[in-house]
Amino acid sequence: MLAALMKKELLTLARDVHGMAALFLMPVVFIVVMSMALKDVYAPASRPLAYAVSNRDAGPIAARLVERWAKVDGEARELPENWQDEVRAGHLQYVLLIDPGFSAAAGDMSARAGQAKARLIAEPGMNQALFEARRTRLIATVAQLRAEVMMARLDLGVNVAALVDNTPVAAERLSAGPRPTAVQQNVPAWLVFGMFFVVASIAGLFVEERACGALARLRSLGARPWQLVVGKIMPYLLVNAVQAALMLAVGVWLMPVIGGEGLSLAGVNWAALALMTFSVGLAAVSLALAVASLVRTHGQAATIGPVLNILMAALGGVMVPTFVMPPVMQRIAAYSPMNWGLEGLLDVMLRNGGVAAVLPEAGKLLLFAVLMLLAGFALFRRRA
Amino acid sequence: MLAIRQLSYRYAGSESTALIDVSFDAARGQVLGLVGPNGAGKTTVIAHLAGLLPIQQGRIEIDGRPLADVRSATPTRIAIAPQEYAFYPTLTVTENLSCFAGVGGLAGRERQERIAECLAFAQLEHHAGTRADRLSGGLKRRLNLAIALLHHPELLLFDEPTVGVDPQSRAFILDAVKQLAVNGCAVIYTSHYMEEVEMIADRLVFLDQGRVIRQGALDELLDAAEAVETRTVSRRGNLERLFMALTNRTLRD
Repeated sequence: MLAALMKKELLTLARDVHGMAALFLMPVVFIVVMSMALKDVYAPASRPLAYAVSNRDAGPIAARLVERWAKVDGEARELPENWQDEVRAGHLQYVLLIDPGFSAAAGDMSARAGQAKARLIAEPGMNQALFEARRTRLIATVAQLRAEVMMARLDLGVNVAALVDNTPVAAERLSAGPRPTAVQQNVPAWLVFGMFFVVASIAGLFVEERACGALARLRSLGARPWQLVVGKIMPYLLVNAVQAALMLAVGVWLMPVIGGEGLSLAGVNWAALALMTFSVGLAAVSLALAVASLVRTHGQAATIGPVLNILMAALGGVMVPTFVMPPVMQRIAAYSPMNWGLEGLLDVMLRNGGVAAVLPEAGKLLLFAVLMLLAGFALFRRRA
Repeated sequence: MLAIRQLSYRYAGSESTALIDVSFDAARGQVLGLVGPNGAGKTTVIAHLAGLLPIQQGRIEIDGRPLADVRSATPTRIAIAPQEYAFYPTLTVTENLSCFAGVGGLAGRERQERIAECLAFAQLEHHAGTRADRLSGGLKRRLNLAIALLHHPELLLFDEPTVGVDPQSRAFILDAVKQLAVNGCAVIYTSHYMEEVEMIADRLVFLDQGRVIRQGALDELLDAAEAVETRTVSRRGNLERLFMALTNRTLRD
């Protein structure tokens, strides 16, 4: 009996073009588009920024500043006459403006206010991290130039450039896993989103078979409610597994072909990945069953499922990373099943977490699944 | 074969009772016409027999055994062809038959043989690979019938099976129902069309507002109809007159 029920469910789903597109095509499109769009957020230094220099100071320190700046950010473009308009329009990312008298001011140790400055004037839409990085570099470069001038005046024989090069500072990410890239972040995010889209498919099909009397016919043939429930859960867990395999394949093989970075699965703990995939799948299917048993019409099924998904995705860090959310929203995100799924998958795919590392998230998802199953089963018995 | 005794039922949240002390019998080899206006309780009786509603009061027995026991042991002894197209529209005719055959416990060669048998009985062989939602109304009704026959049921429940079909398909379905009774099935047939019931029923049960208001053999009831309508020249159409006389002309919800 279960085999017949499962086969029916898979055949019905396979012929639901919109359902198939929502489950498989939509997350693939999101992975590709969002990974390409957010590529520079995770690798901001990979592309030189278009900038120009307006050096209004003829002094040596200003000249050295321009020279050293070009070593890092590449050659400056020619300064257009209407450079302010160009910056406002984003055609130039920024202009390094050096006031007249900058060299004299930089060599003056009295450090009075109102002195001439080297100014960073950026376009309005410049990423905050990129802006801060250049501002910090400008301060550091000017500070180094001033130190060089001072040391030369004092004639202490100190090589400031060598001192800077050997500054006892180090920075690194504490991770044995792959480097965080847009693909590495987006594959788990949109995989979780896609897996939860079974809510709309299951609810729609359930309403249809209830309305047409097929469900009543199955029950009259002796199918018990638990068999009908299992007959729906099992095929969709299989669908979730296929979704996971497809999204990983897109990340690993498709993204490099179309110019993105490839998804790295180096060092991934496969048992932990399987546990997380199963947990997300069971939570999604159980929620779907509860929603399917709750709704009465096609209209409700077609509305509630996607809206619930988008809300959970927005709150759960799929659409907007939780780290950019204010603290209140971050606390709310901690209650979203999609957030548990996403954090667990990121543990596996970014932080090389094992089974023990993902147990808290998997546990929450499985508990959620049990609660939804109980609610769904109770409603199913009443409605089936 | 079937004995229903003092069956009463009230839907949750409803103030009125859907069935009140309903009692009647159905025998193998006979078609029992279950007729009544909208809301009379016909579908509620059918839903009980199909195992879709619990018995609140009264009893239903099949060959002397409680319905629940029979349904628990062999649910496929009773089959239903409901009012709706109770199958999956995106599956083909054969896939639908295969699904319901599998759910009813048929497997392997036996399943294939029964599917072929039902396709032939409903004359659907040429449409075996067609998606159900692309069938005409008549073909859909025949698929509904074919699914009901998959498990060789002993009691067949037809709930208004000719709604929305052309005369040819209607004639086909009525012939099929008669044939099934001749083959030994007990058939319960509900319809609003009195001429249909007159054509195929051996016995009749009139239901109105949840109660049995008249029952008996077709001939007895036709005789009674003549008594009601003395100007009748032929017996044809008498059943409808009797029905209207028994249930009066008040519109029902």
